[in-house]
Amino acid sequence: MRKKNTLFVGKVFHEFLTLPSTNLYAQELLSKSKPSEGTVISAVHQTAGRGQIGSSWETEAGLNITLSVIFYPRFLPVYRQFSLTQAVALSVRDLVARYTEKPVKVKWPNDIYIGNGKVAGVLIQTTLGQKGFRNCIVGVGVNVNQQSFSPLLPNPTSLYLETGVSHSLPLLREAYFQALEHRYLQLKNGRWQAIGEEYRQYLYGRGERVLFERPDGERFSGTIKGVNASGQLLVLHDDGEEAFHMKQVKMVGAPG
Amino acid sequence: MTFKEIQELVKLINKSNLTEFKIKDGEFELAIRTNKYEKRKTQQQAAPSNPAPAQQAPIIQMPPVQTPYPAAPPSSSAAPQAKPQPEPEVESPREEKKEDRSKYVEVRSPIVGTFYRSSSPEKPPYVKVGDTIEVGQVVCIVEAMKLFNEIESEIGGKIVKVMVEDAQPVEYDQVLFLVEPA
Repeated sequence: MRKKNTLFVGKVFHEFLTLPSTNLYAQELLSKSKPSEGTVISAVHQTAGRGQIGSSWETEAGLNITLSVIFYPRFLPVYRQFSLTQAVALSVRDLVARYTEKPVKVKWPNDIYIGNGKVAGVLIQTTLGQKGFRNCIVGVGVNVNQQSFSPLLPNPTSLYLETGVSHSLPLLREAYFQALEHRYLQLKNGRWQAIGEEYRQYLYGRGERVLFERPDGERFSGTIKGVNASGQLLVLHDDGEEAFHMKQVKMVGAPG
Repeated sequence: MTFKEIQELVKLINKSNLTEFKIKDGEFELAIRTNKYEKRKTQQQAAPSNPAPAQQAPIIQMPPVQTPYPAAPPSSSAAPQAKPQPEPEVESPREEKKEDRSKYVEVRSPIVGTFYRSSSPEKPPYVKVGDTIEVGQVVCIVEAMKLFNEIESEIGGKIVKVMVEDAQPVEYDQVLFLVEPA
C-alpha cells in the first residue's frame, strides 16, 4: 500500500482500530521483543492517550494522527537529551508547516501551535540505563480533520480548522515519517547546533513580551529569549534574565 | 561551555595568580580552586587572629534549583600540607554527607528533572522499600522538559530507602534509592 520514501521510519507499521495508547503498546513491544528501529504503532482511535503525566490527549476516532515510533538513540549523550526533544518538535512543525501558510511555532518545550491554537503534541519516553539511552518512544498526536473540540481544552485547533481542507491521514503519516526521519538523522549526525538554532527560530513567543506566573501565583511580564542547552526557558524580566524549568513557570497570556 | 573551552580556561587559570574562579552561565556552573587556594587557607589558619575555619568558606550564592554546591573542603585544615598539585582541582559538584550508609549502595539520578515513582498517578510505584531489584530493572521515572526517562538500576539488591518524594525535583547525581546489595 504505502510508498516507501524513508529508510527506516515506518518500514514496520502496526495499525490498530482502537488502542488505549500507542506509547503503551510500543512499551509492551519493547519489553517482549526487539522491534526494529523506526517501527511505528498507529491507532485510528486512541482511548487513553497521554500528554504529560496526569493530563490526557483528546482525539476523535479516525480524524487525527496518533502514532508512536521506536528508536534506539544510543549515540545521544545523556546531557544532550533536550536536542532529542527539539528534533522531534521540529519534525512535527515541519509536517504542519507543509499544509498551512500561517506561522507554525513550537511552544516550549514541545507543543506545536498554529497561531495561538495547539495543533499537535509530543510525548517522548526513554529508557535510561548505565550506558545511556537504551530506547526511546516518540509519541505524536496531530489534530488533522477534527472540527470540534471539548470546551475543556484551552486552545485546540486542527489543520482542518486552520485551512478549511480535509487531509488524507495515510498521506500525512507518510509525510510525517519523512520529516521525522530527516530530523532524527540530523540528531544522529550530531548537528545539535543546527537543531537548536531552528528550534529557537520557531520558538513560540520568542522576542515577545508574555505574562508569566510562578507556582506561588506571582505574575510577571517578560520577554522570551530562547532556551539553554538543558532546555530551560530563558526569560528576560525587570530583574534580569532567568532560566526556568517546566514547573517553575507558566505562560498565562498569549504573546504580543 | 565545551570541554575544550574548559581545558583552555583551566590552563589560563593555572598560569594566573588566581586562587579561586567561578563562572555561571544560565544553568551551567563551574568552580575551580588552584593549589594557591590551599596555600592561602593554610596560611590564614596558621594566623592566630583568624576566626573559625568554617567562616572562611567563600560565600556561595546558591540559585534556587541548581546543583548544590559544596562548601569549602571541610577537613583540609587537618592535613597541614596541601599536596602540591600540578593542575588546579576542578571541584566535583557534590559530596554527599555519609551517615552509616557504608553497607548500602546508592541509585543516583543520571539527569536533572522531576522524580516519579510510578508511570502514572493511578499506577503502583515501580519499587518500594523491601523490594528486591535486579540490574537493569526500571526503578522510577525522571522527567525533564516533558521527556520521560525510565531509570534502570545499575545495581541489584534490596531497596532500603526511597530518598525522594514522588513528583519532587531532583538534581543530577542526587541519591534516589538506598539499596542493600544482593
